Amino acid sequence: MHMKRRAVAVALLTAATVALTGCATASSPDGTASADACAPSTGKVDLTFTTWIPGVEETVAVWNKANPDIQVKVQTGPNGNGGTYQNFFNQLKAGNAPDLGQIEYDALPNFRVQDGLTNLAACDGVLDAKSDFVDWTWGQVNFGEDKSVYAIPQDAGPMAMFYRADLFKANNIAIPTTWAEFATAAEQVRATGGYITNFSQSDINQFAGFVWQAGGEWFKNDGDNWTVDLTDPTTTKVAAYWQDLIDRDLVSTNPPWTDEWNNAYNSGSNWTWNSAAWGANSIASGAPDTAGKWAVAQSPQWKAGDKASGNWGGSSTAVFKGSKHPYEAAKFALWLNTSDEALTMLNKSANLYPAAKSGLELPALKAGVPFYGDQAIYDEFAIASAQVSPNFVWGPTMTQTYNDVSDGFKAAVSGKGTLSEALKVGQTNTIAAMTAQSIPVNK
Amino acid sequence: MSASAALSPDAQGSAARVSRTKKPRASKVRVQHKGAILAFVLPFGILFGLFYLVPIGYAVYESLLVIKREGTFGAATEVFGGFTQYILVFQNGPFWQSIGRVLMFGVVQVPVMLGLALLFALLLDSPLLRGKRFFRLAFFVPYAVPGVIAAIMWGYLYSPNLSPFRAVTENINFLSADLVLWSIANVVTWVYVGYNMLIIYSALLAIPTELYEAARLDGAGQLRIAWSVKIPLIMPAIVLTAIFSIIGTLQLLAEPQVFRSFSSAVTSTFTPNLTVYSTSSIPNFNLAAAFSVVLALATFILSFTFLKFTQRKETT
Repeated sequence: MHMKRRAVAVALLTAATVALTGCATASSPDGTASADACAPSTGKVDLTFTTWIPGVEETVAVWNKANPDIQVKVQTGPNGNGGTYQNFFNQLKAGNAPDLGQIEYDALPNFRVQDGLTNLAACDGVLDAKSDFVDWTWGQVNFGEDKSVYAIPQDAGPMAMFYRADLFKANNIAIPTTWAEFATAAEQVRATGGYITNFSQSDINQFAGFVWQAGGEWFKNDGDNWTVDLTDPTTTKVAAYWQDLIDRDLVSTNPPWTDEWNNAYNSGSNWTWNSAAWGANSIASGAPDTAGKWAVAQSPQWKAGDKASGNWGGSSTAVFKGSKHPYEAAKFALWLNTSDEALTMLNKSANLYPAAKSGLELPALKAGVPFYGDQAIYDEFAIASAQVSPNFVWGPTMTQTYNDVSDGFKAAVSGKGTLSEALKVGQTNTIAAMTAQSIPVNK
Repeated sequence: MSASAALSPDAQGSAARVSRTKKPRASKVRVQHKGAILAFVLPFGILFGLFYLVPIGYAVYESLLVIKREGTFGAATEVFGGFTQYILVFQNGPFWQSIGRVLMFGVVQVPVMLGLALLFALLLDSPLLRGKRFFRLAFFVPYAVPGVIAAIMWGYLYSPNLSPFRAVTENINFLSADLVLWSIANVVTWVYVGYNMLIIYSALLAIPTELYEAARLDGAGQLRIAWSVKIPLIMPAIVLTAIFSIIGTLQLLAEPQVFRSFSSAVTSTFTPNLTVYSTSSIPNFNLAAAFSVVLALATFILSFTFLKFTQRKETT
């Protein structure tokens, strides 16, 4: 009966296994930070680059025109956790990964622990580029090691609050500046029939952004052992806060990134979204009927007068292990993420918010945005960007951590269990997943 | 290819019967055309080996390895670990919960689906129904819709705020933890009833009409003919569809995967195959391979038990 589905499953499995059959247990003798050799190749070089940035092809075309000897071919795919990371891991195991790939900061440790990344520190100009980037983004790509650069930062996701300026004004509700005010405003908004925001059950990286803002740290790596701490007092405080809003039906719980979710924003039933700079694009495309009615303010603070921001997402451009042309690949990655030309184009096509310091001064990022009532919204994100703590470290099995916590969050919004319980399960399972791959971890 | 595997006990039976009656001639022919036989078998043999035996063998091999590494970012080396991964599989609560979930799904959904398929096939075969061609096609059309598309479509129909049937979906949440398994069962039933109906219907067409004539002479009505003549004769076809369905149930992947974006209740370990999928995306290929091997064995045992059970019932 289920022939078709089985055929699909069999085809998938076969494809995966064929990819795996080509595998070799290739690995360097030690995983410590020794930069890989990085010499220029002779003759014309063809590079492949897998990414999910909308409209990146046009930017790469500009590079290809100016660099006839280093031609880059773009392959696009779904966003990282939506399937591209899985492809990367399979390709790495099969030994046919692309030269360059887009990897979000939270997934970099995962790729490094799987020995998937080339250390670019020896490549021309890479170590010197450190001062070109916002500090915390560089910390994400060098893992705090002086002689390591495992990717070139691309964009950042400093978080701020998108809100429906018109609705807050019409209903005479003050724009919340602290989380306590946010909860009060949530009651007022609920009284009008709407929801102040949607609690995203499966965007665990957004929740991590809330924890990041509150000063929590989920992972530590002292060089000998990892420490996992999804249940520290800060995280528990943030979880309890949102649990309360969920329990009192003050936030909606639509599955994110669905039409249902878009519809809630487009129809005006959801009023705010604590999101990253790139979120500007998501609202504009998901809720087109609300053009001109939005504005951006700093995220609510835990303590009045504080100035802290979280970060959600942001990507880097990494060179995979096995690339024959790391020198050229690094050169392209630096151009893509530091040249005004590329950054302007990427901001235009995908609202990317650059990780490069010079990028923050681009004219395109100073102008008013019509969708946001001509507010110069990137000024707000520039303030937020400077307030992001550089200490947040991601774990080496984030795909699994996200899956487990998200399973628990989903249950919690359906009324089974709580967010804190989900984080406890995530803690246990993350340690188990690391142990299963003999990654040293404090238990 | 797995269809052929599931078919094989049945096919073997008939093949054995055929070879028994035609043995002398068959062996002569074989001697004469060895090259030709080889030429015909070779393409299948090569593909079967490449895309069936080698991947299975590789999965078994991978499942016997464990990863060793030094330091927090130490490079991984795969070393032989015996049954370490299998111990993890048997200790994994969510995996066995997911097996329990699909078994519950199968116990309810398979009989309902096959019952409907049998009913439709009998109706198509009975002289009472008009517009047979239309209904035959109409029942079969859902199967022509790719499974993923069907799941997306039903996802929208179930969705509380976007469904065209909001009056219903606002009051009954088909995507809630209590109902989502049965909502998925409904999608699967919708897609595969027509397919199973067609198998059963073609078995009905193969019944000689003299039997009906004889039954009528004995005074049997349409219902009696269906119950006492048709159903016993098409039992092998029903058993076949049941085995396909059992295998399909254990391998549920596409529908729950699609429903993950519609429903909060579908976790990353909702079905055994989803567990395999999310384990391989950690990536922990060795554990994923061990899950797959255990799942394959479970499927095999279940299908085989069902077959043995039904065969014994037939002989008594």
